[in-house]
Amino acid sequence: MKGRKIFSVIKKISMLVLVTACVDKIDFDIPNTDPLIVVEGMITSDPGPYTVRVSRSIGFDSDSSFRDPIEAMKIKLFDDQGNQEDFTETKPGVYSTGGAIAGAVGHSYHIRLETSDGKIFESQPDTLHAVGEVTNVKHAYQHEVLHKNYGDIDNNFFNISIDADAGTESNNYVRWKFTGIYKMVTRPELHETFLTASSYKTPLPCSGWEVLPALGGGLLSQFGECTCCVCWIYDYESTPHLSDEQLVVNHAFKDVPVGTVSINSYTFSDKYLIRIDQMSLSKSAFRFFNLLRAQREGASSLFQPPSAQITGNITPINSNEKVVGLFWASSVNTKLTYLLPSDIPYLVPPPEEIDDTCRVLHNSTTEQPSFWQ
Amino acid sequence: MLLRKIFWLVLLCFASIARAQTILDAPLDSITESKPFTTLLDEIALKSGARFFFRKEWIQDLNYEPGQVKTLGEALNLFFRGTDLRHFMMDPFAVVIVKDPTGEILHEKAIQEAVRQQKKIVSYQIGQPRDFKRGQQVKVNGRVTDVKTKSPMVGTYISVSNDQFTTTNNDGRFSLTLTPGVYALSFSFINYEDKIIDLSVYANGDINLEMEEVPILLDELVVRDRAELTTQGIGFTQLTMQDVKHAPATFGQPDIIKRVQMLPGVTTVGEAALGFNVRGGSVDQNLILHDGMPIFNSAHAFGFLSSFNPESVRDVSFYRGGIPAMYGGRASSVLDISTKDGSYEKWSGNAGIGMITSNLLLDGPIQKDKTSMMVSVRSTYSNWLVHSVKTDYADLSKSNVSFYDAMLKLTHKFSDRTKVAFTGYSSQDSFRLTGDTTYQWSNAQASVTVDHQFNSSLAGQFVGGVSSYGYQIKDSDSLTQSQLSYRITSSVLKAGFHYLKDRHKINFGWQLMHYQFDPGTFKPTSPISNAKYVSMDKQYSIENAFYVSDAYSFNEKFLIEGGLRIPTFISFGPASVYKYKAGLPLDVLNIQDTVRYKTGQPIKTYFGIEPRLSFRWMIDPNSSIKIGYNRIYQFLHLISNTTAVTPTDIWQPSGYYFKPQHADQISIGYFRDFREKKYGISAEPFYKSIKNILDFKDAAQLILNRHLETDLLQGKGWSYGIETSISKNTGRITGSLNYTFSRSFRQVAGPTASESINNGNPYPASFDQPHIMNLTWRYKITRRYYFTGNFTYHTGRPVTIPVSAFAFENTTIAYFSGRNQYRIPDYHRLDIAVVFEGNHRRKKRGEGIWILSIYNVYGRKNPYSIFFKGTGSGVPQAYQLSILGSALPSISYNFRF
Repeated sequence: MKGRKIFSVIKKISMLVLVTACVDKIDFDIPNTDPLIVVEGMITSDPGPYTVRVSRSIGFDSDSSFRDPIEAMKIKLFDDQGNQEDFTETKPGVYSTGGAIAGAVGHSYHIRLETSDGKIFESQPDTLHAVGEVTNVKHAYQHEVLHKNYGDIDNNFFNISIDADAGTESNNYVRWKFTGIYKMVTRPELHETFLTASSYKTPLPCSGWEVLPALGGGLLSQFGECTCCVCWIYDYESTPHLSDEQLVVNHAFKDVPVGTVSINSYTFSDKYLIRIDQMSLSKSAFRFFNLLRAQREGASSLFQPPSAQITGNITPINSNEKVVGLFWASSVNTKLTYLLPSDIPYLVPPPEEIDDTCRVLHNSTTEQPSFWQ
Repeated sequence: MLLRKIFWLVLLCFASIARAQTILDAPLDSITESKPFTTLLDEIALKSGARFFFRKEWIQDLNYEPGQVKTLGEALNLFFRGTDLRHFMMDPFAVVIVKDPTGEILHEKAIQEAVRQQKKIVSYQIGQPRDFKRGQQVKVNGRVTDVKTKSPMVGTYISVSNDQFTTTNNDGRFSLTLTPGVYALSFSFINYEDKIIDLSVYANGDINLEMEEVPILLDELVVRDRAELTTQGIGFTQLTMQDVKHAPATFGQPDIIKRVQMLPGVTTVGEAALGFNVRGGSVDQNLILHDGMPIFNSAHAFGFLSSFNPESVRDVSFYRGGIPAMYGGRASSVLDISTKDGSYEKWSGNAGIGMITSNLLLDGPIQKDKTSMMVSVRSTYSNWLVHSVKTDYADLSKSNVSFYDAMLKLTHKFSDRTKVAFTGYSSQDSFRLTGDTTYQWSNAQASVTVDHQFNSSLAGQFVGGVSSYGYQIKDSDSLTQSQLSYRITSSVLKAGFHYLKDRHKINFGWQLMHYQFDPGTFKPTSPISNAKYVSMDKQYSIENAFYVSDAYSFNEKFLIEGGLRIPTFISFGPASVYKYKAGLPLDVLNIQDTVRYKTGQPIKTYFGIEPRLSFRWMIDPNSSIKIGYNRIYQFLHLISNTTAVTPTDIWQPSGYYFKPQHADQISIGYFRDFREKKYGISAEPFYKSIKNILDFKDAAQLILNRHLETDLLQGKGWSYGIETSISKNTGRITGSLNYTFSRSFRQVAGPTASESINNGNPYPASFDQPHIMNLTWRYKITRRYYFTGNFTYHTGRPVTIPVSAFAFENTTIAYFSGRNQYRIPDYHRLDIAVVFEGNHRRKKRGEGIWILSIYNVYGRKNPYSIFFKGTGSGVPQAYQLSILGSALPSISYNFRF
């Protein structure tokens, strides 16, 4: 009897307990420092031109990832044979070679950058290794239910994995760069402007349509081609996929997961292109991408390991200016595969019409990729 | 008192007599026959005109034998050695013989004090006054045991007429060397009734004493701290279970490790962090022994509780400086937990009911006075607590937690000299905090301990056993369904001896440990799982150590304990060791060869010499200065790239590539009592340097890594600080306040940038917390009600945080600060409890204690983990997960029957 009484007391008190777990933002007092110089560029075994992008880092308080380009730099490419070639600025902060130097396996390359105020930076020479190729791209449909606070939602996607030849080199540092591309068509000519009580047809100029001045503004007429109706949307990988040693069997990689493709009305309104670039890496480039991967992967974990400072292979020569980034050399073998709506085990409904330019879509371009068929 | 005054007066007046050619130089060569000493003095007086002052009865039994000595001075020295007689000279031809009454006065004073405090006094006589031989001291050996369980009372505090102090050893034994005479021996042990012996001793003898537990909380709770502040070893604390049980408890569960975390110099990295950090050491540098067997993970329920049921524990010794030679293998501290024996007389039990756990302990005789048993079980009721956690963090709602621990102890006394005990222990934990991953870990232990008393001075303890710690991480996501298993199995053999002789307490022994590491097996657990089967090779090693130490008390003021420990560590095959190109960083690309070692073939042997030294100088009965030095080698490393211990951590034995860590620590302390030990203060600065500490490279892959040496770096560490404390030991309110300032740094400067951390510059260790403050108190509201509490504060630990970000290949990459360059918010927490005790009648059917406590009274959101989340663009932001963001009230009831 006494025991039961005790249990009842405990139960009652337990009811009073409110245990709250919470996730809070921590604010650190971070001194304002000059932005870093960020360099990103590579040379491949494909003929040039090769591109280098130079920008400034994003400040702690900034919440946009807008690149702040650094213009008017002098950049030179060097190989280990004593050849050199200048880059020229093609867009703000984007510099390209003319094609005099072509990357070749077994050679190493580096760049030298000079800002308009005379600060010089150099990359460590990076050796271009041979690489094997992707032999097979596989997809597996998966359905899962996500439990959200507002209820359960269905999530359908393809897991993409590959088999690949590791190449003949003993160096097994390989990266598979996953890029997904799909086509989207929008209807900017249907664009309307809403006022308090009514709406007016306001087709966007790039649609090639305009409102006829007469007849009270209700009729449209086409005056030219639409330049913003068809876009190609790029899905970039958020985490680099790198070779893990345990997967190499007889110089072959098998079943390496390289990405996922989300299934929805937009991604499969036409077809979905998977582009896998198998790229060779030097040790230092591997280290850079590995740090990058660790940072991205750790980002979702509660037991997050302390993240590392990622600096790369660019060093200042005549100043203490902080610089991050990588200029790397790589052989690239590309594999393209299309996923079709018929690969999905159910019928995907057509997308809703978007009465805006397709450029408003994230990571979109109106330029058709050269490899799109 | 009068006698004493006369003595000192006389002494003062005549203290300056020391000249050449005095009556003391009078030759005795010419005296060829034996005669009473009084006669001899009369003859000398007659011959030389010298005068001697003495009382005849003091020296009437002394007889002069020719040839013993050459001069009168030598004769006096010989006769008076070891007695309370002294002589001095009034002038060159006048000698005064006096009796030092101090011993008798002290005896009288101590007895009167005991009478005043209404303590029970037992008179005891060893030998007869006629046995008493001039110049000879007598030895009193003894043993103190619990009257109920007959188990030895380790560390019982013994005062000899409040003038000389000692404690019992690991077997409850003590040894006193005394001048024949009368003494008041006082025996005290926390929560036990004091025993006073009015001792008259004239010959060697034994005293065996039984002490009885006092069924209520008394002020004696702090007796030991009070009495031992000035006399106990440096850096040593004995935790009392009563103290543990009456402190505010998380979820109503008293906890040993939580109590350790309130001691000076001890800290943790965050809320519910597993393990603790001692004087700037990492969590793996704490040796936790449970009945002599090593415990690798002492946590329950994320780390909110530890896996030892306080009800089954007899005593806990904690060393953080001046670590004795009998302990080794971990660089920073020792937490030695001994379990209770069951009662040899009658069956009794203890049941506790708390918010999330309940426990039951039963103990009693299987064969009266011969064999006893103790069994304890503790478990969670359900997952209700975790399910009642209210959070916006979606993953947490899928969490669960469960655990249990159980213990069995069987003890059999073959004779008064030999006891055998079997301890079986098992604990298991399981929790899922996020997503589909379940963490499980378990400890299991079986050991046999034999205690044997060879003779009155020599005792031995022999331990043999096996302990096993392992964890599993289960992924239940359908595509990656898998299980990672990890296990360490250690087999232990130990032989330890305690030898008491005169003023020496000698410990020596041998310890052998065999470790088998299963560093990881990863296997798919469903046919459609993508997981690949990976199994790492097992690792084997042996740790062997010989040790000897001697605690020698020169006199009542000086005690020195010197020790030496000689450990050897051998890692052996079967194993494959990668060899790397000479002069290049250890890197998978630089592997040149693989060397295969056969079964039992040594791969690498390490040998060390560890001097240990501690010294105590009692400046006066109320203050002391202590110095401690120790060197310790540590052969097992906890490899972790998270700050707290998580169940995914890996223990790596020293071997071909990993050198053992070795720590040198020196500490000096000043300790003082005031107002008859009502208050105590202490200050203890320390400096510790550690070589070969392991730290991970950036983005290191630790789990299932066959060449872990390529992802880890060895460097050095150092820490320093000062621990201060003030305590109030008696009265209605008692408590202590301690403050520690300490810093802890690491430096890994390799030959190349990839082999360095933070560009080779020193950086704060992840647990560098400069300011630590702990306040604990106990207020006696009435005889049965107490209000207790503690407040803890420490500086937030260092972290590496994103300070800016940059765009690279269409993603935003965070740019992090150098390692550990920022700090998370400070940690502080207040816990309070009200304790209601049952009635204090000595004869009663049972006795219950209610404890109502509130953990984290003002709802401080202390971080459990820190992580960074990107918003898709811009710099990732730092977030902390606080598991307890509010006050947590709890209630528990403990009933003894």
